[in-house]
Amino acid sequence: MTTAVVDVTVDDGNVRIAVSGEVDLANAAAVEDQIVAAITNQVASVSVDLGAVDYMDSAGMRILFSLASRLAGLQIGLEIVAPVGSAARRLVEVAGLAPLVALRPPMDRAAG
Amino acid sequence: MSPHAADTRKEAADRLRDIESVTDAGLARLSVDDLLVELLDRVRDILNADTAAVLLLDAPAGQLVATAARGIEEEVYQGMRIPLGRGFAGRVAAGRQAVTIDDVQDTDVVNPVLRQKGIRSLLGVPLRVGDRLLGVLHVGALVPRHFGEADVDLLQMVADRVALATQARLSETERRAAVVLQRSLLPDRLPQVPGLEVAIRYIAGGEGDVGGDWYDLFTLPSGWVCMTVGDVVGRGLRAAAVMGRLRSAARAYALATRSDPAAILDRIDRMLRQFEPGEMATAVMVLLEPSFERLHVSLAGHPPPVVATGAGPATYVDVPVDPPLGVAPLVSRRAATVDLPPGAVVCLYSDGLVERRGVSLDARLGRLRDAVTVRSAEDVCTTVMVRLIGDDRPTDDVALLTVRRLDPPSAEPLELAVPAVASSLRDIRAAAKRWLATIDARPEDVMDVLLAVGEATSNVVEHAYGPRGGFVHVRLELQRPDVVVTVSDTGHWRSPRGDNRGRGTHIIQAVTDEVTIDRRSNGTELVIRRRVGQAGSPI
Repeated sequence: MTTAVVDVTVDDGNVRIAVSGEVDLANAAAVEDQIVAAITNQVASVSVDLGAVDYMDSAGMRILFSLASRLAGLQIGLEIVAPVGSAARRLVEVAGLAPLVALRPPMDRAAG
Repeated sequence: MSPHAADTRKEAADRLRDIESVTDAGLARLSVDDLLVELLDRVRDILNADTAAVLLLDAPAGQLVATAARGIEEEVYQGMRIPLGRGFAGRVAAGRQAVTIDDVQDTDVVNPVLRQKGIRSLLGVPLRVGDRLLGVLHVGALVPRHFGEADVDLLQMVADRVALATQARLSETERRAAVVLQRSLLPDRLPQVPGLEVAIRYIAGGEGDVGGDWYDLFTLPSGWVCMTVGDVVGRGLRAAAVMGRLRSAARAYALATRSDPAAILDRIDRMLRQFEPGEMATAVMVLLEPSFERLHVSLAGHPPPVVATGAGPATYVDVPVDPPLGVAPLVSRRAATVDLPPGAVVCLYSDGLVERRGVSLDARLGRLRDAVTVRSAEDVCTTVMVRLIGDDRPTDDVALLTVRRLDPPSAEPLELAVPAVASSLRDIRAAAKRWLATIDARPEDVMDVLLAVGEATSNVVEHAYGPRGGFVHVRLELQRPDVVVTVSDTGHWRSPRGDNRGRGTHIIQAVTDEVTIDRRSNGTELVIRRRVGQAGSPI
């Protein structure tokens, strides 16, 4: 069974959700539930850190697309953190998510 | 001749006929269940009784269990249980002698069926073979009467017959149950692990009386492969049942313990001491790393695995032997690590393979070591069995598990056929990753191929089959400089449903060089080509 860990830290209206492990069809629904549960209506901005994701495919992308559209409606900012060269970064770019969200390499791992 | 003498003679003749009727040789042909019913009917006739019943002793529970009955069949249907020493049957069993009650009072019986039937008089005798109590046979009458000495003698004669037949049946049943149980508890088919070749031999030794040997091999979600062989001390149904519980426990603990075979054995040890006091087992527990590069081995009173790498003769894994499971609390169990290079073979086995009366263990271990060479797992098993068992029927169970790490499959394509369910996806990627590692591809290319494989198989899981399910076939082949991925199914695709679906195919196209989809009436085949650069060199 595919396993991922969703780690949530709340800092004054900003929620940082760090996903690690693998996300595919087998566990996408569980990962989505955990992400959605972390975001309350009081939140101002959401940052999803995919830096520690070893594998993610379109099942994981579906989560991010639906999250992007829901948060846009709620006027909650969404930022996707993915190091350049990581599995998630590649996917975010080829799947066409990049234009819909604020995408950035993490501060300490920014690279060409 | 006086009328009195005539009566006596007639009585004697009747008695003789009665005895013949319950010792009739024709009864021997009946199965035990039919025999019990037939004897109960005859004894009911002879003694002019209304009911007759056999209750067998469930010794661990300290209870008598209604097993056969005439006139009070419901007590069998209800699985009536009578505590030893209580009630009528309980008293017969506890005292191991006949008990008669001429006029039943409510306090005499605990069995509500006897009370509801309105049984007024009872005669019960113990079922014994030698000193061993097997149960109770009793007859009852719905009108008050006195069961005399002759009745007691006759019923005891029937009881002896029933006891012998029952004992024979119980031991036969137990033996058969143990064989069935043992078979059901051992895996009938080990999983196919891409990159490994697995073969087993299992012989139930000794006059058909099964022992408690087990073997198992399974993959863990982390990509580790767990293999184990063990031996529960003792024989028969009990040993087979304990073996089954140990095997399940080993799987459960392996799931919870990430990478340490000693920790798995330690937990089984604790489980055994807590829940199965008095039971003892030996085991070898081996974990193979996801890379297949190294084995981690821990021993509980068990001989060490043999490893053949092709470089020199095979060797026994050098690992200290810790005490068997279920013996005594232990501070810490130990494990050792040994390399398993491509092509290498490892053999796990039970004592029964290397222990023979009159031959030193060292000599047998030496013979085993010589028999293990770098060949296919099946060949190794065959050679080991020929050289160590030969035409000598084993007196103990023999379990032999051989695993070979296949050579790098760079020349060989990777072929997988796995159930098209979401939980297979991870295994498919793990196998693809292992295969891609052997072709020395650049990390970014590996990532793209894995993504393409993941999306393509994920599509099959989602769209190819209805609720009946099916298989997804994956093939990876190196056609330098391309890797060719073929993903096929035998289902009928349905169109994507839900939001944000259908993105997978787009992703495959984005990360590969060429995609062709062949939809046929009997399935769909997707062929993906992706150019792959050598690690460390630009494309």
